[in-house]
Amino acid sequence: MATVSTTPAPVAARRGTTPLRRSQARTAWLLALPFLLLFAIFTIGPVLASLVMSFTDMRSTDLRTPFAVDPAGVSNYVDLFGDPLFRKVAVNTAIFVLVGVPLTMVLALAAAVGLNQITRVRSFFRLGYYLPVITSIVAVAVVWRFLLQPDTGPINQVLGLVGIDGPDWLGSTTLALPTLIVMTAWRNLGYLMVIFLAGLQTVPREMLEAAEVDGAGRWQRFRYVTVPVMRPTLLFGAVITSIGYLQFFEEPFVMTNGGPLDATRSMAMYVYDQFGFGNYGIASAASYVLFVAIAALTFVLFRALRSTD
Amino acid sequence: MKTTTRTLALLAAAALLVSACGRDEDGDADDAAQAESVAEGPAEGTIEVWAMGAEGENLDVLGAAFTEENPDATVEVTPVPWEGAHDKIATAIAAGETPDVSLIGTTWMGEFAKTGGLDPTPEDLVNPDDFFPGPWESTVVEDTSYGVPWYVETRALYYRTDLAEQAGLEPPTNWDELKSFAQGLQEQGGAQYGIYLQPGQQGAWQTFMPFAWQNGAQLTDGDQYAIDSPETVEALEFYTSFFEEGLSQNTPLDPGALEQGFVDGTIGSFISGPWHVGLVRDVGGPEIDDKFDVVPLPGKDSGVGTSFVGGGNLAVFDASDNRDAAWKFVQFASQPETQQLWYETINDLPSVQSAWEGGPLTDDPLVAVFGEQLQETEAPPAVPTWEQVAASIDSDIERAVRGQVEPTEAVANMQQQAESIGTGL
Repeated sequence: MATVSTTPAPVAARRGTTPLRRSQARTAWLLALPFLLLFAIFTIGPVLASLVMSFTDMRSTDLRTPFAVDPAGVSNYVDLFGDPLFRKVAVNTAIFVLVGVPLTMVLALAAAVGLNQITRVRSFFRLGYYLPVITSIVAVAVVWRFLLQPDTGPINQVLGLVGIDGPDWLGSTTLALPTLIVMTAWRNLGYLMVIFLAGLQTVPREMLEAAEVDGAGRWQRFRYVTVPVMRPTLLFGAVITSIGYLQFFEEPFVMTNGGPLDATRSMAMYVYDQFGFGNYGIASAASYVLFVAIAALTFVLFRALRSTD
Repeated sequence: MKTTTRTLALLAAAALLVSACGRDEDGDADDAAQAESVAEGPAEGTIEVWAMGAEGENLDVLGAAFTEENPDATVEVTPVPWEGAHDKIATAIAAGETPDVSLIGTTWMGEFAKTGGLDPTPEDLVNPDDFFPGPWESTVVEDTSYGVPWYVETRALYYRTDLAEQAGLEPPTNWDELKSFAQGLQEQGGAQYGIYLQPGQQGAWQTFMPFAWQNGAQLTDGDQYAIDSPETVEALEFYTSFFEEGLSQNTPLDPGALEQGFVDGTIGSFISGPWHVGLVRDVGGPEIDDKFDVVPLPGKDSGVGTSFVGGGNLAVFDASDNRDAAWKFVQFASQPETQQLWYETINDLPSVQSAWEGGPLTDDPLVAVFGEQLQETEAPPAVPTWEQVAASIDSDIERAVRGQVEPTEAVANMQQQAESIGTGL
């Protein structure tokens, strides 16, 4: 295959020594300045401030004199891992990511492959899968809570028809988290499906045809042609889903408020609660632990799914 | 590699910055705050007031009445939604950009007073004895009062009179009767659940703690937590027995489900605040009026049992530009006549005892019950960390109700958690 090249210019010219290049660079910086300023004030600033805060004993009562707080070293981090609740929310979040991400990916890929085969009612189904993505979580929560009602909810009534005594989905400490995982997968698969659908269009038809001529079956074509070509798309999907799921917050917040007995409380909710309690030091430390987890998981995914050439 | 070095340098710089400005532990801030008195004469100038919810939307009524008495003063009201109000006030205090007066939720007093944003209540401004004792205590942080109770709310027992009649029951006057009352409403009255007690989740402590208080338990002793006591354990055993015996459902109800179940007759009784009178009437219409009643909580052995008291305080910020006028407005809001006017405006219950004698508050017998209950109340300690302690008590109540731990263990854990969280003072 031909490699695309956009820089035929010699190396010396690229260094930007000509007056024209220099003025272009200046304009570029000028145009980027408003963004850079906002980025520095509203992103870099708070990120650094919270990093510093995570090494202090700052509480909400210190707001007036934020520079008069005592350094706490790593004691916030030590306390964090000594807190049984934090360990519990870390485990909840890990389960959510380890089960939720593969589940969402598989469902989204299956939906995308299915929709790629049909042409007639594709846009109808695409809309159907995508609708949950753009629906407000609050509306979704109201409907799902109604569906999942233990006595009167449609889900348990249907189960009752076939003789199954439906459980209290959100009230049980063992079932609440899996229920939320399924709901979240349903809510997010439309977004991934659209991305995967676009990825599927990039799989060259001639490659699939060649494989078919060589005697590859449906599954083999999918496994050895489609998946390798879609690797970057899958990686992208896995990374954004993992980042999103590690910050799992909205679903438990509106559906269970972290209950029952913290069975659905996530790390992001823990951070939120600690900020609410005024424990800024602990809350900052917990957000940095979450940040490190996100960075580590992203790194692992890049390693695992990096194209092998 | 380069990134690592840069991060390390940054951390080192941060550590330096932090250690360079340690907190002054022996500062004047720890001494009991001195309250300055307020100048004589009518108030002048503009008084900026923040208030949340319905209070904020209707406060102009009091503002107009105040201006009538003080023609040179105007009250400028900014309604603030309850959601986010806490953070808005905290930010305002940090920035020194506060209004003159604000409504402060009773459980926030400890935190804001400790931050140093509130002006101590001037001596002689009001007489503490005029107020119900529980609400006044909620303004006192480390022996200094930082505001004046504005309105109050407390919890009493709602029950279906028709179901009680059917079961041949009188309202309970002690714990044993409360238990048999719930049983009767369920077995003879036909309710699915005889009573609804909050089985956990946010705010469960407000239903549970009254039982502990009725049994003589305390949350704090001086500046120490004293939750772990045989009295608290006995109260929690009594509380959980309602769930074990199937008298109350053991999963929290969704908002709106309580009043609906009560009107349907599936829930025979429940414990809640004055707002539920309106909610029950909204759901049940005029027919429900002669089918339910409210009585004070029963004591353990006899008499009126202790209940939870909450509400809102008015506080003046120390950054106020118009301090004297601000305190005069707070004083005005705590006059019995103003409190009655405020009750007529949005049904907020007066924090001043004399406002209950005669006037509009005697008109509605259900409201009068809350007046009776207010004589026997306790408020949570005014410490900055209270919300966090309360959250851990909620979760221990839930554990005990679900039978995951014995009440003894749950109460011991409440104490241990509270101690590790500390008072924040």
